[in-house]
Amino acid sequence: MGFTKKKEMIAMLLAGGQGSRLGVLTNSVAKPAVPFGGKYRIIDFPLSNCVNSGIDTVGVLTQYQPLELNNYIGSGQPWDLDRLYGGISILPPYVHGKVGEWYKGTANAIYQNMNFVEMYNPEYVLILSGDHIYKMNYKMMLDYHRAKNADCTIAVLQVPIEEASRFGVMNTDDQMRIYEFEEKPPEPKSNLASMGVYIFTWDKLREYLIKDEENPNSSNDFGKDVIPAMLNDQKNLYAYEFKGYWKDVGTVESLWEANMDMINPNVPINLNDPPWKIYSRNGNLPPQFVNGNAVLKNSFITEGCTICGTVENSIIFPGVTVEEGAVISNSIIMPDCVIGQGAAVEYSIVASAVKIGKNAEVGYNKKPLKAGEHQPITVVGQKLSIAEGTVVPAGAVVSESITAEAGETEE
Amino acid sequence: MNTLGLIFSYTHRENLRELTKPRTLASLPIAGKYRIIDVLLSNFVNSSITDVSIITKSNYHSLMDHVGAGKEWDLTRKNGGLRVLTPYASPQMSVNSSMYRGDVEALATNMHSIRRSMAEYVVISGSGTLYSMDFNHVIQSHIDRHADITVVYTRSMNGSKIVPSGVVVFQMDEHERIYDLKYNTDDTSPQEVAWGIGVIIIKKSLLESLVADAMSYQEYDFYEGILKRLAGTLNILGYEYKGYLMEISSVTDYMKANLKLLEKDMRDKFFEHPIYTKIKDSVPVMYCEGCQVVNSILADGCRIEGTVENSIISRGVRIGRGAVVKNSIVMQNTEIMQNVVLDHVILDKDVIVRENRQLVGHETYPVVVEKLSIV
Repeated sequence: MGFTKKKEMIAMLLAGGQGSRLGVLTNSVAKPAVPFGGKYRIIDFPLSNCVNSGIDTVGVLTQYQPLELNNYIGSGQPWDLDRLYGGISILPPYVHGKVGEWYKGTANAIYQNMNFVEMYNPEYVLILSGDHIYKMNYKMMLDYHRAKNADCTIAVLQVPIEEASRFGVMNTDDQMRIYEFEEKPPEPKSNLASMGVYIFTWDKLREYLIKDEENPNSSNDFGKDVIPAMLNDQKNLYAYEFKGYWKDVGTVESLWEANMDMINPNVPINLNDPPWKIYSRNGNLPPQFVNGNAVLKNSFITEGCTICGTVENSIIFPGVTVEEGAVISNSIIMPDCVIGQGAAVEYSIVASAVKIGKNAEVGYNKKPLKAGEHQPITVVGQKLSIAEGTVVPAGAVVSESITAEAGETEE
Repeated sequence: MNTLGLIFSYTHRENLRELTKPRTLASLPIAGKYRIIDVLLSNFVNSSITDVSIITKSNYHSLMDHVGAGKEWDLTRKNGGLRVLTPYASPQMSVNSSMYRGDVEALATNMHSIRRSMAEYVVISGSGTLYSMDFNHVIQSHIDRHADITVVYTRSMNGSKIVPSGVVVFQMDEHERIYDLKYNTDDTSPQEVAWGIGVIIIKKSLLESLVADAMSYQEYDFYEGILKRLAGTLNILGYEYKGYLMEISSVTDYMKANLKLLEKDMRDKFFEHPIYTKIKDSVPVMYCEGCQVVNSILADGCRIEGTVENSIISRGVRIGRGAVVKNSIVMQNTEIMQNVVLDHVILDKDVIVRENRQLVGHETYPVVVEKLSIV
């Protein structure tokens, strides 16, 4: 059918996870669509990395709560992924013949879309996930993959050895060839943690996906099944060391921390990087307005905001109104929230379109804190309202609106 | 309604000094992250008019660069969409004068493109006065009142009776029929008059024949050569506009129009409908420790370490520690270094103001620093 171009490498982005550890933040959106860093969503990072690395064909595998994510991705135009050949494709599970099933695991998701991959006849396939914050040139990783004549290259990051047991750990020889992969080992032998970024030579991956699917005992997961099977067969698996900022944002605490990293000048990630921009869908909002009583310190604030209160060490997303006398500190306020007069919000993540009433206190803490420790993060779910004067204790997770009568009080 | 939008990217009555040296009026930055053309194009797009041509005369490269294929305004269409009509030398063109001798000649030169549009009506807009308008209402009134030409006028600019110099003042009867007009020269005293905001509605077929007719009489001014000359024969009606207005024909007006957005009322009116612009994917504004921002508008991508008061700051501006920027308009990617003091200054794009420099203008005469200058 007409002209088709062979692609050297296409990307498959696994965006179907529920992200259950983010609790109320992912009640109605898939994790990759969770807002991040002031005007982005988590998925903007892998998508922008792809485009900036010259990858123009991306399949996004969706399954859990895809509506908002689909709508956000649209034609792919904000990432320059509306292309004649390739571009972005959303790949939900579908029925083939009389059968059809959900994606059983990460490997099965790719298996079910083998026909999509074959349409582009690629040499290599890049597997990404939608829950990490980092800026990475996948082109350099591909060069490494080719130089090593690898069947699979796994991006790794050096982590402190005491934290390595939280990750998938690669044990390599001095040529970086992987001889063993351990998922969350209690006693790690190395400090090379997998970043969840893989490049496979497509022929090899296809072979192993088919084998894996035939194995009824497999959980159809890359880390648990496919990679161990390849190691077992003495295939060429190499670790590619990435030196730079990378963070998994799978939990409330890590999501908060990663956001705070964006405004911390000592953290080695700079979003203001014209040759490596992070693209996002833009809401056509007016520039922000800061009135005469605002006090601003070390914060990220973006379009459509009206700031009349105090904002410290915080990230304010588009369209937020902070009324007079309100004080926001060490918090993340997602799009379209209204923080009422005199309200206080500290160490909190407030999801989009939340209304916080006058003089309410969100993240109220009375427990003494140890040095270097911060109070637990309070989370307020999407589209809720919190009545005037309510006190929400630190660490609470608010999943229903708080009305004046049922106002939560101090414990 | 099948309508063609025509925007003149320039106006003969402007005096914007250094600001329009590198660019045509319509691509002048405004309100932090926009260009004048964004406001005009958004009016058309918000009125569901998706066939729009921009008539340019000179230094239009910055405009072309900004609008591109019209994607951001949703004007990349199979039918209609955005077209920039650039001048070209033709045998009929006069040799002794500048490019176009008037709007009529500009229309005549571009008639090949206008004629090709399938539209029944044409809405013409200038660039010197900004407004927010649903053109469908005017077109409906044009049809209902059997007008040949409808001219949009106003009686006050945001409550003020001062009439900008160079605009057209109309004489109308009690049915809003225009029988005479003149160009205004008095921009200091309040006047009880109806003056044009540069918006005209006409049937495309009539426009084609009136332009051809005026050309044959060597009448090149649209108002004098068509409206005034034919006031007796054609049904030329006024349509009153009561929304906000921003007049951009002089440096002081430009400054006033921008700073007026610091008032909530004006901001609410200006941003009532979406204004589309080119997306730059800038990061959020970083407000550093020790910054102080009072009553200002800031666009994304800025890094603020100093003090900003009553000012409009465009995308990607850096303001260093100890710097004080007051009552000023700072355009894109400008860098203001440490301890600089600016008051009533308009800094054009890509300017650098080095450490400890002080520039102070006045409300009646703002200092303008040209694009790419280093102070």
